[in-house]
Amino acid sequence: MSGFTLNINNKEYTVEAEADMPLLWVLRDLLDLTGTKYGCGVASCGACTVIMDGNAVYSCQRPVGSCVHKKITTIEGLSEDGSHPVQKAWQKAAVPQCGYCQPGQMMTAAAMLEKNKNPSDETINAEMSNNLCRCGTYHRIKNAIHLAIEEINK
Amino acid sequence: MQKVTISRRHFIKISSLSSGGLVIGFMLQGLPALAINEDDCEFLQPSAYLKIDKKGKVTVYVAKQESGQGVDTALPMIVAEELEVDFKDVRAEIAPYGTLKEGEHDTGGSQSVLDMYSKLRNAGAIAKTMLIAAGAKVWNIQPASCAADNGEVVNTITMQRIKYGELVCEAAKLPIPKEVTLKNPKDFKLIGKSEKRANLKEILTGKTKYGLDLKVDGMLYAVAARCPVLGGSLVKFDDTAAKKIPGVVKIISYTGTGAPMHVRPGVAVIATNTWAAIKAKTLLNITWDEGKRNTENTTALFKTFEAKAKEKPQAQVFNKGDVAKHPGKTEITASYAEPFLAHATMEPVNFVAAVKGTACEIWGGLQLPDWAANSISAACGIKKENIKVNLALMGGAFGRRLHFDFAIEAVKIAQQIDKPVKLVWERTDDTMFSPYRPANYHLLKAGINDNGKLESWQHHVLGTPIAYMTEGPDSKNAPEMDGADSGFCYDIPNISTGYTGVDFNINRGWLRSVDICVNTFPVESFIDEIAEKLKQDPLKFRLSMLENKPDFKTGEGPGSLTQSPSRVAGVLKMAADKIGWTAARKPNHFIGLATHSFIFAKSYAAHAIEIELLKPKKFRITRVVAAIDCGLVINPDGLQNQMEGGLAFALTQALKSEITINNSRVLQDGFFSYELLRYEEMPPIEIYIVNSEAEPGGVGEVGLSTVAPALCNALAAAGYRPRSLPIRNEGYSWI
Repeated sequence: MSGFTLNINNKEYTVEAEADMPLLWVLRDLLDLTGTKYGCGVASCGACTVIMDGNAVYSCQRPVGSCVHKKITTIEGLSEDGSHPVQKAWQKAAVPQCGYCQPGQMMTAAAMLEKNKNPSDETINAEMSNNLCRCGTYHRIKNAIHLAIEEINK
Repeated sequence: MQKVTISRRHFIKISSLSSGGLVIGFMLQGLPALAINEDDCEFLQPSAYLKIDKKGKVTVYVAKQESGQGVDTALPMIVAEELEVDFKDVRAEIAPYGTLKEGEHDTGGSQSVLDMYSKLRNAGAIAKTMLIAAGAKVWNIQPASCAADNGEVVNTITMQRIKYGELVCEAAKLPIPKEVTLKNPKDFKLIGKSEKRANLKEILTGKTKYGLDLKVDGMLYAVAARCPVLGGSLVKFDDTAAKKIPGVVKIISYTGTGAPMHVRPGVAVIATNTWAAIKAKTLLNITWDEGKRNTENTTALFKTFEAKAKEKPQAQVFNKGDVAKHPGKTEITASYAEPFLAHATMEPVNFVAAVKGTACEIWGGLQLPDWAANSISAACGIKKENIKVNLALMGGAFGRRLHFDFAIEAVKIAQQIDKPVKLVWERTDDTMFSPYRPANYHLLKAGINDNGKLESWQHHVLGTPIAYMTEGPDSKNAPEMDGADSGFCYDIPNISTGYTGVDFNINRGWLRSVDICVNTFPVESFIDEIAEKLKQDPLKFRLSMLENKPDFKTGEGPGSLTQSPSRVAGVLKMAADKIGWTAARKPNHFIGLATHSFIFAKSYAAHAIEIELLKPKKFRITRVVAAIDCGLVINPDGLQNQMEGGLAFALTQALKSEITINNSRVLQDGFFSYELLRYEEMPPIEIYIVNSEAEPGGVGEVGLSTVAPALCNALAAAGYRPRSLPIRNEGYSWI
């Protein structure tokens, strides 16, 4: 066990953990930031997506030892009140069914739009294909992404 | 612990309701720490379904378990409609277990709205009637001179208004009315208008707590290694290495169970965090006795199906006319096959349990909490009345949580440690140890007369029945036959449908649209195939056996359902019309149709799917049109979402999903091998809703079954008819 200092949602957290514990479990079990979801643990579904230094990453694949000195954003920190353009677009498009995968979907979309305010359909397809939704809300995710693009280019 | 304050008068009123009247079976004994105080009045709660506080805020206690199907929105809308309140003032909460009569929490079969529609209208109307009576008392006028509007009681003589919140304490003193008048559906303001999901903002800010997110004081985490073969047992295990992982608290073993849930024996690692448990599990050295049934495989199962299909069915399911006497002149035969399927909810299966002495408390998502509690009681030796059930939100269910193998496991584990334990199934466990949708095979025979009409129809369904698992291999219970049994919608003079069950050593269970998906694919493919052979238009051919045919009952007695061939025809015509069935098609574009009913949920749906053939067996879906007739629609947006999601779920099955088994072991172990539809694979969809005043039906499942046959019929029109799912196995590819 070692102590790790993490910057999550602009806050400093110190956790005692094994260095190989994935960030996913640090967030969920140690810090009670349960908005980041466990779906597979093997980088196949995207439910655990967080933003790390501007990139959407699978938190199940990031040992906590490798996360020190990184700027980490989880769904709890995407905005304080759900006002991030991606969250607003998801609200307007009424995307969720069960909602379980949606934090991961929104983190992927937010990271993509942070880098590129006008992504092509190819880029959107490539980025969003990293996140699975068993309820099948892909239509509404597509609508929401286009609403978000409109909003941030206003 | 939540503290509930309630006046004695109020409490007695609620208790006495169970004696009968319009609304039956309300009990509040399940609410925690019930404090009775004569002078306290915090809210009006004339039934277990709703509460109105002094600020006029309405809480609807949702009886049905939310897993993405939108019951937490549709059900409160029904209450709000009769109660005459702004939907913004209504919040949805899970009805605590124990506050409703047995069976009322049960959630499945697209039954939520069907079960609750009348009850919730009554509940809303009762509360409204009491508030009106309270207002009338204040003004000293007759209740008939009052009306309810937008959360206020209105004096229709003076047009004065009093807010509900100001009347709740007065209303709580009044008797609960024995009779109430319901609104005329023509006056509905909320029902039939789209509302966004309740608690949407919580979902979008990551605040929503699903079962996997629950934390109980002092809770530990567990993962388990399970016997790789169903029916096997544990011989021994060595946990020397596993115990050394920091955070591991205890490693224990537990025994399996038989029917109904078939828990496999396992070794569980209990740790202070999930990761430590996952890591330690990989270091366990376990010797299993796999038992005698450890060599079964799906290739052999389908060969058995094929061989038995030619024999006489084990059981006759439906008979009409006389197929032997009137077989028809020309025979057409075809066979179809569908694999085992897993639910693969995004939230892997999980459950929390705490056992103290002879009592236990459990937390998690359960679609059938009463059966679960009874079974836990039997399997774990805990009295039912000593089991406290806390229901949780589910990150998808699709039937997975109709089963509760995981809940029994969690209690068995918790019995061996003095702290609450959250059992987490890893994705590999979730994929490899599920109760699978049964594999099935169909042999169909049609007899045609010289006039090009169907004279006979024979359907032999072969499958691995769910009932063999839930009740044992001697079960006589009906296997998966909806869509092929006495509710069969096509009017053909001579019909013979039979079933043959084949046992197989893997657990089976209900998956969204189970029977209707199983049977609609072969029925709608075969109908299409016959039309093609007869060179008849597939739309007209179907309509000739549906249109102008009277509604009929599927049998006698309370289980009897009503089939309406004209509604089956109605959705088919709508889908065909909207896709432009008779219009000229672009080169290499082909359209397939399929229609069906899910009469158990009083709903009808059809799909028309257009594909572009890019090269032999390679295609792109260019258009999907869905038509649905589910009677009165409560929340059009919810319906839309279910139809969109149903398309994704059904396309996943049509294109790529399959559970295969070798040596009695599932070969898929997660999303890399059990693939789901991805974002870029979702085709465009248009949804058309039949305007209907029929009683509301269920919509969670009806939007799936016609997707695969419509797609396959389009591919057939393009020259290549698939006869088994997923079509990837037949060499199809798509972009």
